[in-house]
Amino acid sequence: MLNALGYENWALHALIWLPVLGMAHVLWAAEDRAKWLALRWSLVVFALSVGLWWAYDPALGGGYQLESSRPWIAAWGVNYALGLDGISLFMVMLTTFTTPLAVLGSFNYIKKRQKPFYALMLLLEVGVVGVFTAVDLFLFYVFFELTLVPMYFIIGIWGGERRVYAAIKFFLYTAFGSLLMLVGILYIYARGKALLGVTSFAFVDLLQIPLTPGEQMWLFGAFALAFAIKVPVFPFHTWLPDAHVEAPTPGSVMLAAVLLKMGTYGFVRFLLPFFPVAAQHPSVVTLMLVLGVVGIIYASWVAAVQPDAKKLVAYTSVAHMGFVVVGIFALNVNGLQGGLLVMISHGISTGALFLLLGMLYERRHTRLIDEFGGIGRVAPWLATAFVITALSSIGLPGTSGFVGEFLALLGVFEDHPGIGIFAASGVIFAAYYMLPMVQSVFFNALEKPENQAVQDLSRREVAILAPMIALMIVIGVHPTPLLRKMEPSVQMVLERVYAAAPPSAAVIESGRDVSGSEMAE
Amino acid sequence: MQAAGLEEPQGAWEPLLPGLIILLPLLGFAINGALALSAARKSADAVRAGREFDFLENGRPASHSLPTWVGPGVMLLAFLLTLVNFVGMLGADLHEPVIRSYWTWIATGDLNVAAAIQLDQLSMIMMMIITGVGFLIHVFSVGYMQDDPGYPRYFAYLNLFVFFMLVLVMGASYPIMFIGWEGVGLCSYLLIGFWFSDEEKASAGKKAFIVNRIGDLGFLLAIFLLYLVFQRVDYVGVFGNAEAVFIYGGPVITTVTLFFLLAATGKSAQIPLYIWLPDAMAGPTPVSALIHAATMVTAGVYLIVRSAVLFALAPLSSAVVAGIGVLTALFAATIALKQQDIKKVLAYSTVSQLGYMFLGVGVGAYTAGVFHLMTHAFFKALLFLGAGAVIHSMHHALHHTHKDWDAQDMRNMGGLRAYMPITWVTMWLATLAIAGIWPFAGFFSKDEIIWMTGAMAGAENAPYQGLYTVYWILALAAAMMTAFYMARLMVMTFHGENRTGSTEAEHLHEAPKTMWIPLAILAALSVFGGWINVTTDLRESILGGFGFLPMSEWLHGWLEPVTEAAHQIQEANLGELAHAAPLGGGEVVWGLISTVVALSVVLVTMRRLGARKVPVAVEDAEPKGFSRILFNKWYVDEFYHRWVVDPILTTSRVLGRIVDAKIIDGAVNLVGNAARAVGWVGSLLQTGQTNTYAFFFTVGVLVILAMIGLQG
Amino acid sequence: MELDFSNQAHFIVALAPEIILAVWGIVILMVGVSSRRSEGPGESLDLGWLSLLGIFAATFANGWLYGVTEVGTHSMIALDGFALFSNWIILGGAGLSILISQSYVEKQGLQAAEFYALLIYSTVGLMVMVAARDLIVIFLGLEIMSVAVYVLSAINRRSRTSAEAGLKYFLLGAFSTGFFLYGIALVYGATGSTHISAIAESIASGAAHGALLMFGIALLAVGFSFKVSVVPFHMWTPDVYEGAPTPVTAFMSVAVKAGAFLAFLRVFSVAFTDAYESWWVILWWLTVLTMVVANLIATVQVSVKRMLAYSGIAHAGYLMVAIVAANESAAAGLLFYLLIYTLMNIGAFGIVILVSGQGEDRLEIQEYAGLGWRHPLLGLGFTVFLLSLAGFPGTGGFIGKVFLLQGAMEADLVYLSVILVLTTVISYWYYLRVAWYMWMRDPTLNAAASPIQVPVAMRLALIAGVILILYLGVFPGTTMELARSSVTALSAVGPGLIGLAP
Repeated sequence: MLNALGYENWALHALIWLPVLGMAHVLWAAEDRAKWLALRWSLVVFALSVGLWWAYDPALGGGYQLESSRPWIAAWGVNYALGLDGISLFMVMLTTFTTPLAVLGSFNYIKKRQKPFYALMLLLEVGVVGVFTAVDLFLFYVFFELTLVPMYFIIGIWGGERRVYAAIKFFLYTAFGSLLMLVGILYIYARGKALLGVTSFAFVDLLQIPLTPGEQMWLFGAFALAFAIKVPVFPFHTWLPDAHVEAPTPGSVMLAAVLLKMGTYGFVRFLLPFFPVAAQHPSVVTLMLVLGVVGIIYASWVAAVQPDAKKLVAYTSVAHMGFVVVGIFALNVNGLQGGLLVMISHGISTGALFLLLGMLYERRHTRLIDEFGGIGRVAPWLATAFVITALSSIGLPGTSGFVGEFLALLGVFEDHPGIGIFAASGVIFAAYYMLPMVQSVFFNALEKPENQAVQDLSRREVAILAPMIALMIVIGVHPTPLLRKMEPSVQMVLERVYAAAPPSAAVIESGRDVSGSEMAE
Repeated sequence: MQAAGLEEPQGAWEPLLPGLIILLPLLGFAINGALALSAARKSADAVRAGREFDFLENGRPASHSLPTWVGPGVMLLAFLLTLVNFVGMLGADLHEPVIRSYWTWIATGDLNVAAAIQLDQLSMIMMMIITGVGFLIHVFSVGYMQDDPGYPRYFAYLNLFVFFMLVLVMGASYPIMFIGWEGVGLCSYLLIGFWFSDEEKASAGKKAFIVNRIGDLGFLLAIFLLYLVFQRVDYVGVFGNAEAVFIYGGPVITTVTLFFLLAATGKSAQIPLYIWLPDAMAGPTPVSALIHAATMVTAGVYLIVRSAVLFALAPLSSAVVAGIGVLTALFAATIALKQQDIKKVLAYSTVSQLGYMFLGVGVGAYTAGVFHLMTHAFFKALLFLGAGAVIHSMHHALHHTHKDWDAQDMRNMGGLRAYMPITWVTMWLATLAIAGIWPFAGFFSKDEIIWMTGAMAGAENAPYQGLYTVYWILALAAAMMTAFYMARLMVMTFHGENRTGSTEAEHLHEAPKTMWIPLAILAALSVFGGWINVTTDLRESILGGFGFLPMSEWLHGWLEPVTEAAHQIQEANLGELAHAAPLGGGEVVWGLISTVVALSVVLVTMRRLGARKVPVAVEDAEPKGFSRILFNKWYVDEFYHRWVVDPILTTSRVLGRIVDAKIIDGAVNLVGNAARAVGWVGSLLQTGQTNTYAFFFTVGVLVILAMIGLQG
Repeated sequence: MELDFSNQAHFIVALAPEIILAVWGIVILMVGVSSRRSEGPGESLDLGWLSLLGIFAATFANGWLYGVTEVGTHSMIALDGFALFSNWIILGGAGLSILISQSYVEKQGLQAAEFYALLIYSTVGLMVMVAARDLIVIFLGLEIMSVAVYVLSAINRRSRTSAEAGLKYFLLGAFSTGFFLYGIALVYGATGSTHISAIAESIASGAAHGALLMFGIALLAVGFSFKVSVVPFHMWTPDVYEGAPTPVTAFMSVAVKAGAFLAFLRVFSVAFTDAYESWWVILWWLTVLTMVVANLIATVQVSVKRMLAYSGIAHAGYLMVAIVAANESAAAGLLFYLLIYTLMNIGAFGIVILVSGQGEDRLEIQEYAGLGWRHPLLGLGFTVFLLSLAGFPGTGGFIGKVFLLQGAMEADLVYLSVILVLTTVISYWYYLRVAWYMWMRDPTLNAAASPIQVPVAMRLALIAGVILILYLGVFPGTTMELARSSVTALSAVGPGLIGLAP
């Protein structure tokens, strides 16, 4: 049926350009219709994206499918080239799935300046989908940066007290990383031009360039920094809590559910296949694994003592991303698959957590944990939803959270048992930060009168949460279809990594100084 | 699991809808859950309106009738279905486990975990206990919880628990077991904190969950390690190759089993992780009976028996298991001696009895462990339910006059036998059983464990023989304490004159039908439940009525297919077990001795305490000296707080408030501020004076010229 | 048609745009004088449009010259793609400056005729400068331009700051001119010629006297550095830019800088090609210094006008990268970037003029609070200009920066590129700061009290700017091609550009 429509040919482009139309429509329409329009457009986009599940066929190998490419800047060999593989498939679907829910979640939250807000939300979707579907490095970078602007304004205009500080910090910090990456990108491009005479930014072409181990180390550093800040990997995480606390609910949702994934996606998409020698260099692997583990434990502990529920959840994101990093740099199938699965489940559960906190905030206008208590008695459905989500977030078996963490830990344990043990201790600390918060918000005595007045979930809110919770459980009970779709692409990445001969330390040490003749003086 | 595991066995026997046994409780959970949610909406409105929501105003609401039928109903069906399968399995002599695989749960790389269940003698006996005892406790709950606003929610949780418990015992691979493992933990979390408005109760639930997670970590690591070794994690795959892969007593197998042990200590409340169980008594009493006595806490024992092959290969781990078991048995018993709260006594008693089970499985007496697990399920469930009945009635009595006394403190009871005879009788039966007095269930199971310990100590070439001798002595000591504190409990509760108060006493009443019928059934089981596993020596002796009593060694034979592999390994490595206790004397002799001793302890206790006048709680003085330490549970909780919890919390605070906020984030902001500071300094050079500008201009020129000069 | 400069008359053709403009300047003056008596509102506007007409004429002529080819490369005036493209930039800058200055000139009651005439003359000077193939001619153009601009910056007689700015600029300008001239002399002494290709050849043949040449190159570098305001020769820039009438500032910041840079490039990457090894280090350090210092100081500015002045210096730094790289991509990048830079900087200053109410008050950043919500379109426009200045994807500024970076990469200037992007991060701070005042603050009372009207001319300039910036950001292809082909013309001269590609 999809083939009849030629779905493969236009699907990805539609996913990018429909939100743009949506923006135009939202801006053009009346203020009070903005939210409904945004919702409709994002729903249409989601509906379209569902087809990808069938359109992408893992049986054809892990390579890109639904590819289509048009020359953009011919002189530089830049193409407007999109494609989809098992890794990006779910990132795209996660994005299109989250956006409408985030929009729906902002109906009450966003009171003023609605038109620009919803327009920016759609712009954000454009950027993110672009990031996940681009198969041209230049195009990727453009989308990667493009996502900053809407987020900057969403935080800065509709955010809380210290919104400007948070917005600037978010923007500068992430831009800092990505600009260094830009230099790296252009360096690779220049090498390609010089060594092979190819002027192209297409992944496939860039992958052909024979980079020396020394160069790989440098470039790995540049790319890794950019993505590590985005993820964020400890110790580059401090922008995240600020951004989350200040951002409006939908902002936090998009940030947690989707934007962070761009970083880890970058790990899988670029660090491993582009710089295989560096990526499997023992010291690099150790460093990344250690950072991941430290992130897990450190963030969990810090989260546990946060007085602000939203900040707490923000730190849990850092912890979860730690699992992802650990899984990825296990450099084996289980680890990588697990990492990707954690990305997906974290997107759903943490997104849901932020939505729930937003609902609480709309009712009580505070996020301080001590301000709550006994909410479970006046808002049982809210409490139920929260508890389920929280359990999924701390990886209870049977929820999406578990499978990912299990595989990631299994993967790292296979090759680095020592680190695996520390990483696994995260499951204890997850309970340590999450349950006390749940207790003092939803359980305990219902003393404060303002808590007594709290209303339970409305229809709209149920509509937001139901699909997310359903997904948490479905993925938890039957993740195999996802894993099967991802596996071939994951295998490809790993083959690419292992194809590169392990680096001889000597080469690294005396690796050609990338600055070349410049500093010869 | 790989294809091999997925193949249907050629066994003649076809189980009847085994999946349905799991699904039924889940179904019950779904229905009750829905009812609970709608009911909760109503009560929430009431709370918001400022009044306590009371089901009894405007009669019983609809939500009451349906859960009553659904909750116990699904359990009954599940039990009957299990019974059918049990009978079926009895008929077929089954040597291979029957595996039913439904779908592939996790499949990636060469890892393949099927959502499969495994039916064998072990899982079957567990299923019987879970569904059977579970059903009785559901029925009991109907009466016990009827006035509670959370009634449907309660049954939802209870059904969910049974579901997970069944997953735990029926799963065909470790990951599946882990689902149940953490699932039951979740349910106990929810049920302990069932009355979550009470901070103390909510915290107790939290504590249980977190402590259990520590154990779960061990479980995970064990799974990982097994996967590393076998590339598969299903029982068939692991046990089938274990002997071939592992060296007897090798480091890997020892590590694996120790990880499993860590997991077991968490679930089964053994040293060092037992601390959550006493707090868990915050939950409704039937919950304590089901989860914290009969089923969930025995999961650890199940895990070890299930992994018998692995433990048999790791003598060191086994010794550790036994050691932890016996120490816990003794330690908990000492604490139980001085508790005043009836449920606390039972809680520590449970911990102690679990210790016995660990001792049993530790010394390789897997059957004995399961045997004690079963009998314990009977009499301890009975004891808890009895206690529940007592508390229930005490509560009503105190409620009437709004006396703020503690309805669970035995010092406020006394002489209840006059008011609730059935409870009194049945609880006495259970007490005799747990005290290990012939011919009650507990006697046979406990006796076998102690006996096997002794036998292990005397085994030909068993390692750590001296150690096992010590175990044996400690086990005996703990047995005597058991007799004492149980007798004390009975005396303080039912005997002597009533201390509740005259007006209150009028409202003390016997439990309603729904509550005492389960008591009766369990009582019967506590009496005769032990007769299914009596060694020939005993049967032929006086203790077996010289073979005239209907006793058998059935259980041993029944579990043989599951445990034989382990037993063969043991015999191969340990050689012949001793036929006499370390101090000499055969099984029969020691059986008689222990019975006599236990009985005399009980009688003496009754004489002594019965005579003494017990002051009510409010008037009672703080215990002094050693008994104070016991009363305060050896200050273990305090110890953990001081040395584990507080350090972690402090560290977290330091990390959060200083390291993260000041140092890491400080560094980030410093960069920004530094840049602006430098910029500001630089802007000072901009004096606006032309000559300054000219000056810098000239400096620039000179520097450049200098550079050239240097260059060439 | 072919030009053979042995025939003097052909110079008239080659210089057609310059000549047209020069004549037009005179016409403007005439008209101004004749209508001096009937001085009144609207008059400046007429003159504005009138001079714009001249610009158009020159532009047209410039386009027509594409159909004309020169014979040989030994004339003093180049008629190559490079010169023509440069003319596009300069004329564009001049035209836009005129558009944004009209209402300002009127409101401030400046001498319209003088103002426009001077602006046109300086344009002529710039065009001569970029087309020149002889250091003497470059100097000639430079001075024509400079003198005119000195006066322009002081043209507001009523304003003390304006006068001060003019004087400062003049003094320091004269100062630097001295170095420039001395540099020419030294180069002549070393190579025996002032003609670019001749110099190039003599260096290539190794006949040139090393020390003399080096000092000459150095002094020329100083002279250019002053004009394009490279640290440490930049110190006049903030004061003059701030003091001068905003339209003049705008003109200086784009056209003057462009002209100077283009001449800079031609001289260094053509004449001094073979001395590259000995001068690039000097310029490398100047570049780094410029990028770092300018961006750092810019972060603490409270006046948007002054902030833009420093941003201008910073951009000089980025553009210097092209001079240092001195290869084809870099040169093309320079052309492309200057084009973009003209558009976005004019746009930014245009907004400044509007906010300051066609005057010199209300320049502080507070004045921009809530601007975006008061005048959404203005806000959007300014946001686009700022993002482009910051070099953000989707805008021409981004493409331009990537272009420069590519040049740097091909010359293996990795550290320089890294410093460039790092300083760019700093620049984000002060650009975004304006954006946050515009969108994330509520307007101050007096700001809200004074609504902004946008005159037609200004509207034209801004709209053109936004559209072109976005267009070049999304579809840079054709323009890039043109830039590249224009640069190849340089290679035609002597040894040509050294492609330092590894």
